[in-house]
Amino acid sequence: MEINGNTLVFLILILFLFFSSPGGDGVASQYEFTQLEKLRNQFTTEYESFQNMTYTDNFRNITGFKLSYQDIITNREINATYPIENKDYTHWANNQTYLLLPDRLIDTINTKVWSTPGGSPNNIFPPNITTSMTGHIELVANDEYTPIRMPVPNYFEPPTDFAENNPPGGEQYYDEWPNYGELHNVTFQNGELNIQVTHLDQVHTELNQNAKYKKRFNSQDGRWKLLNLKIEFFDKLEKEKHVSSSIAVYDIRRGRILGMSQSSKFHSLFALPHYMNLRNEENNEIFSEVKLLIKEYWNTSNYVDTLTMSDLDQLYDNALTKCEYMAFLQLEPWSQYTKDQIKQIDDELDWPIGRPVNISHIPPVSIKSGLLYSPDCGVQLQFNDVKGPRTELKVRTIRIHIIIGILLFAAQIYLLLCQMQHTNTPSSINKISFYSFSMINLVDGSLATLYFVAASVLPELYLPLVLSSFLSFILASIFETRYMISIYASQVNEAHVGILTLLRGHLRNEDDHVPRTTIVPDEASISGRLYGRFFFSLIIFIFVVSSSTSWPRKIRMIFEYIAIFALNSYWVPQIFRNTIKGIASRRDRRRNNSPTNRRQNEMPLLWRFILGTTVIRTLPIIYVFTYSANIFRHHRDVTFVVVLSLWLIFQIAILYSQDILGSRWFLPQHSIPEGYTYFKPISLQHSIEHGGGSKDEPYTVDCAICMSPVPVYIEEVEGTHKVDIHSYMVTPCNHIFHTECLENWMGYKLQCPVCRSSLPPL
Amino acid sequence: MSLEGPTGLFQYPVTKLAMICTGAIPLLAAIGGYKYLFITRYDPFISEYHQYYRLLTFQLASINESNVVLSILIWYQFRHLERLMGSYKYFSVITLLFLYTTLIISCSNLIFNAFLPWNIWNRFPSGSLPLLLSLFHFYKQYTPQIYQFEILLTKPIFSKSKDHNKQMKWELNDHFFLNTLIFILILNQDFVGIICGFVSWLCGVFVDKHLLPGLNKWRLPYIWRYFNEYKSVQYTSGTNNVDPTVGIIMSSNTYNNGQQFSSTTSVNTLLHNGNSHANNNNNNNNGSSNNGIGINISNPLQTQGTTQTTEEENAADEPVRPLGVQFLDTFRR
Repeated sequence: MEINGNTLVFLILILFLFFSSPGGDGVASQYEFTQLEKLRNQFTTEYESFQNMTYTDNFRNITGFKLSYQDIITNREINATYPIENKDYTHWANNQTYLLLPDRLIDTINTKVWSTPGGSPNNIFPPNITTSMTGHIELVANDEYTPIRMPVPNYFEPPTDFAENNPPGGEQYYDEWPNYGELHNVTFQNGELNIQVTHLDQVHTELNQNAKYKKRFNSQDGRWKLLNLKIEFFDKLEKEKHVSSSIAVYDIRRGRILGMSQSSKFHSLFALPHYMNLRNEENNEIFSEVKLLIKEYWNTSNYVDTLTMSDLDQLYDNALTKCEYMAFLQLEPWSQYTKDQIKQIDDELDWPIGRPVNISHIPPVSIKSGLLYSPDCGVQLQFNDVKGPRTELKVRTIRIHIIIGILLFAAQIYLLLCQMQHTNTPSSINKISFYSFSMINLVDGSLATLYFVAASVLPELYLPLVLSSFLSFILASIFETRYMISIYASQVNEAHVGILTLLRGHLRNEDDHVPRTTIVPDEASISGRLYGRFFFSLIIFIFVVSSSTSWPRKIRMIFEYIAIFALNSYWVPQIFRNTIKGIASRRDRRRNNSPTNRRQNEMPLLWRFILGTTVIRTLPIIYVFTYSANIFRHHRDVTFVVVLSLWLIFQIAILYSQDILGSRWFLPQHSIPEGYTYFKPISLQHSIEHGGGSKDEPYTVDCAICMSPVPVYIEEVEGTHKVDIHSYMVTPCNHIFHTECLENWMGYKLQCPVCRSSLPPL
Repeated sequence: MSLEGPTGLFQYPVTKLAMICTGAIPLLAAIGGYKYLFITRYDPFISEYHQYYRLLTFQLASINESNVVLSILIWYQFRHLERLMGSYKYFSVITLLFLYTTLIISCSNLIFNAFLPWNIWNRFPSGSLPLLLSLFHFYKQYTPQIYQFEILLTKPIFSKSKDHNKQMKWELNDHFFLNTLIFILILNQDFVGIICGFVSWLCGVFVDKHLLPGLNKWRLPYIWRYFNEYKSVQYTSGTNNVDPTVGIIMSSNTYNNGQQFSSTTSVNTLLHNGNSHANNNNNNNNGSSNNGIGINISNPLQTQGTTQTTEEENAADEPVRPLGVQFLDTFRR
């Protein structure tokens, strides 16, 4: 497309439409405006009621907490409309009459989960627990408890037509949940668990999320922390997956974490103080401190004013597709450290300047006991063996891995340059397989893209990631693609030629009438075509790979194994190519070694390159598949690695046997057609066609390269039989040159210097 | 002798090494996340954590990117020094100055902080600023000024005189670029840069005047072979058309050069009979006389310069191409 003024304006307009979104709160219609106003009003009223709440008060109109477990046992069909008749709103106690939790569960939490006494000097907990933990989850009960009815307000529904301005009122109770998203139950017994913990220390104070200014809000920073908790659990085959993100409160002195998910049917933010004080210790101090924390968070972040349409959609989505979850976690104390030491560790991880801290021996953040309960689905789950390193430590490990990757890339670039230096003539490049290098190139190119994307996602690893991305990019798109262009250019002659013809190395005489293009396309057009193909296959490959990460485990594994196996068969096309080009055995090559065409008789690939490339490309796979604590959390499968290594060794062994025995040793003799030979006697008529020589030197032909006569062996003339037939060469197009002259020329181009028809390589 | 030295880094192995290290060490440290190893502060690293290794590392890499760029440019300007001293001696002098400046700055900081109650000298310079400043003395001392130029400002804005037609004149010479770079480098590290820069410049002066020993005696062990080999490879590569005796002379020249700057006589007597004796005397006078060192020293530099340039011309010769290749090259090009 030609870029002129109009198209430019058009493009800018399109891009503007692409990247502009409704600014601010994202409201795009009257209907949405009313929706958001209603949500804000609801939150404001509930916050007012929260402000007046004391520890001895029951929840009044807080969405999701209007009913207690006792209410639902007494009357299963009870409606949660405030105020409920005969409900006691002026008292509070830690039992199922006032809580969403059954008495049995409250007892479990108090005796088994939050059982570590706080405050003693032996139990010190780290204040900063940014981490991602992994572990196992176990189902305790999914049918013992009665699910609590939680209505979803109707005004969350999207409009049914454009003319609608007012969202419907009222609430709706779902007995059968709409069948999309997650299952509203947990059906597996044992599963895997990932927990991501990040700290919520600073909040945006305005709606404009792009504003760099963030504000700290926590006045009790040494005792309480607000966390973002993301809990993800699934069965081993990943058929059933549950994700819950919530705001959590972390009690640093006692090592307790309480997280509750938030949705349009469950406004858990206002219930955190009550539930945090479940053990009813220390004179309601916990209640008032957590209430202050929530208040500060609410006021600093301007919670109501900063609500947007996307928040609204998310709340509605969570309400419909997911169960609400309450997580009660107890951390393992870091008893081996004092408070000062922990502070120093935190400072060093936050901003490394080489404080005297042994960073490699910092214990992981681990959860001693944990319980997950869903009030609206009635599911109870239990955490086992959950732990993970601090995020900063994990980043350090990843950084080391990336640096090792950088070294591998550098080694690969060096080897490729050696290989390019080794095959610097069209004749030698002609023997290299284009497809071998396309496979290698595809992997490098997708790695470059992957690193590039990762660099923008992980700002703390920007520099090493960008460097690896840069290295793999120049490896893939500069060196490898350049090399592929010259391979392609040297093999253009062979396009649309059958394998048998290729095996023979030249055209049979009867094929001569088929018109063949003698004009070889120039490198610019080839490179344009190849770059196009490179980027196209790269995009397709990356799309497939990135979508494959979300496939179910079984299909994903099959795809992964097949893809790795296929992409590690990169020497197979080269073995095939060697067979086609028919390289002589090593002994024969030594025998015919002449100084002028030494390069052309060698094996096309350097052994250094073959072995180095194989090792560089296999090492990461071996690491990922055999080292069980690898950073990708990939499962361990030694058998696959052994099979893959054997396959690679087999390929290399074939290549080696081709080097030693000749590249066609495995083909039966009769199936190998005779190749073209440049060294042959010529007929008298042929020599006459070429002028037949001067009077002084009869039976000679002029060499068009050095312009001096070439004595030739003519079958019919006895006197010329002393001439060595290896001293001149006859091309398929019947032109005659000195051997030295033509071999030199063939170092540059595989075309006849006289008529430009293509020449079979030596 | 040409007025200006050849551009580029051909046959400047030490300068090349210094430039690469100045750029590569901070880059690698940044990638690996170990940049903090090159930060030195008295409090807390020395006084509290007792990390005395930092007293040795603060000169190895700059923390600041602009300092890295400035240092690389200054190293490039200093390549005249390598030409003057020879690679081996230059390398030895660099290590000597590195040790002296590190030692003096570290020790004075420790003493300063130990005896004065309040902690006023906390920061250390970052990067090779002390080393560059002490080499700066050598550069100034032994590099003659080649030319001067004037910049005429017709209507200076800030001129106080009412006569606006009066011209303002800036007189600059060929050193002005280096001076500017050094000036920026010092200013870049504010107060510490000025103090430590001054101390290390003094250090350079003292080494030059033999108040601090080692200029003529201190040579790095073991590695001199590397420089000799480096040179001889360079020379033999271009000996196609050159009289073989010259090659031998050259290698002996570099050997002596590496041994001691003042004893290049064996070469000079062969090449410039009359000149070399004078040079020799001049060189011996260096230690005692303070006047006119620049002029005296510039003579051996002359002889060396000429020999090296002839050498470069020979080395730049292309190898002989056979006729066939020449013929094909015409096709190809």
